Amino acid sequence: MIKLNNKPKAGYAARRRLFIAGFLLPTFILFSIFTIYPLLRGLYLSFFDWSGGSETMNFIGFGNYKDLLDDEVIPGAIKNDYFLVFWKVILIMLFATFFAVSLTRLKLKEYGLYRVIFFFPNIISVSVIGVLWSFIYNPHLGFLNSFLSLFTQKSVDTNWLGDSHLAMWSLLPPSVWAGIGFYMLLIIASILGIPSSLYEAASMDGAGQWKQFTKITLPLIWEQFKTSIIHIVITTLNGSFIIVKLMTDGGPDNHTQVLGYYLYQMGFKQFHLSYGATIGVLILILSIITTLILQRLLRRDTIEM
Amino acid sequence: MNKAARPKPAGLWISKTVVRVLLLLWTLIVLYPVFWTFITSLKNNQQVMLGKPWDFPSVMHFENYANVWSRAHFGSYFMNSILVTAGSTILSLALASTTAYILARYSFKGRGVLYFIYIASMMIPTTLGLIPLFFLLNDMHLSNSLLGLTLVYSVGTIGILPLGIFFLVGFYKTLPKELEEAATIDGSSLSGIFLRIMLPLSSPGMITVGIMNALTVWNEYIMATVLINDPMKYTIPVGIAVMQGEMQYRTEWGPLFAGLSISMIPVIVMYVIYQRQITGGLTAGALKG
Repeated sequence: MIKLNNKPKAGYAARRRLFIAGFLLPTFILFSIFTIYPLLRGLYLSFFDWSGGSETMNFIGFGNYKDLLDDEVIPGAIKNDYFLVFWKVILIMLFATFFAVSLTRLKLKEYGLYRVIFFFPNIISVSVIGVLWSFIYNPHLGFLNSFLSLFTQKSVDTNWLGDSHLAMWSLLPPSVWAGIGFYMLLIIASILGIPSSLYEAASMDGAGQWKQFTKITLPLIWEQFKTSIIHIVITTLNGSFIIVKLMTDGGPDNHTQVLGYYLYQMGFKQFHLSYGATIGVLILILSIITTLILQRLLRRDTIEM
Repeated sequence: MNKAARPKPAGLWISKTVVRVLLLLWTLIVLYPVFWTFITSLKNNQQVMLGKPWDFPSVMHFENYANVWSRAHFGSYFMNSILVTAGSTILSLALASTTAYILARYSFKGRGVLYFIYIASMMIPTTLGLIPLFFLLNDMHLSNSLLGLTLVYSVGTIGILPLGIFFLVGFYKTLPKELEEAATIDGSSLSGIFLRIMLPLSSPGMITVGIMNALTVWNEYIMATVLINDPMKYTIPVGIAVMQGEMQYRTEWGPLFAGLSISMIPVIVMYVIYQRQITGGLTAGALKG
């Protein structure tokens, strides 16, 4: 890239090569062992029947995948995953964009303070969030029911996380609460990259805030918008099971089961290890398909603009 | 300028007020649960069960903290979390900065592929590797050990290494090359240039990456719960989840919330000191791709 030395000294090329290798290899070797290998191994395991131990691994081809199709838990888990994906994308992007636009375009003095406060939930541990929100939802002691009881005659004792109709909906607020700040910051950054002359010209022409948003802001932040949506999809498919594990354990009666948590249960509770790995491959396939579809859908939108 | 050019200043004033109300409302929704955690951590069971959740504790039960720290072993969870966080932050910084420096400053065969591998790994759902990773560590006799957990955090599937590489490559590219060129002419060794010139120059970037990594690791739950079984080796997030699980057998709301507070206090302190690096670091380049 750059020629650090114009006169080639004897052995310089060799020293340079050694230096590059010495800086790259330790990282790459460790990364291969602890990241690349487990991912490939997961793919490999999905073609075997394995429940631990080295002797009992039998190749069964697509056997696990056939089981996956017959498994009654899987369709419900996929539905719940996409329930979370759908609502998280809508709600997080809506809030994050609203906050980002408000904080940047309205030129509020308190901009810096809000930015710091709104990002705060993103730096709290998911286990704290899970426990905290479980307690907010607690039927008898929790904040939510006590608060709602202020407005009703008899006290509210809704079992938010134990009711099969409410449980999935109840998982949304903590996920959205904890997600908005990060995407808000990303959108703020791309809004700040828009030349202010565009906005000045638009307001000269009498364009209101809403028009400025749809004609200037949205088209120009669209790439960041798209990236954020895809990032929400991937992190939700990959990680939403942690909040499920902490708050509902997949219950009541598998009503909040998601693929990630089913993988965890199969792998670490029931020791159907290769089946668990197959669920991991399913998550990978779904993420890839969803990302591709979204790329296509969201690209069409930009062209229309 | 904006204001003067607007035809309806009253409209702007109204929309500003409406927005301000909404922003304040969201501030409340964000901060209140945290505040509420702290007040609940000072109540005893009776106050929690009989009073309203928003009541202030009539008597401050600071002993909840002492209880959870020693009897519920949060003292050792805290030390474990500190060790693992410090270890993996330093290790992943060392491993990310060396690779990022080469990727940013040297051209060699395979450079594009290598960079692509690190970046692509961030887009793969890492749950896929969870089961194999557990057995890998088992085979290496590193499961149930803080060293194993540190390694997994530094270079494993939770992804702080690729994110660090991504960020630092961007950072090194913004640094001027003249100093390195001058040092080469003066006969500095290649690694000397990195250690004596590039590392000090890149310290703002390193601090940002280090803080983001430390927060991720301090808060990480799933790897820690999969890899650690020995209660004396729990990190704080695992300790909290286990304690919540035990609540069905013995209820101790105050100490549980004291545990949550202990987990959050270092994060809040870090955030107050380094908020510019944390929020700025993310917006400076992460996830532009």
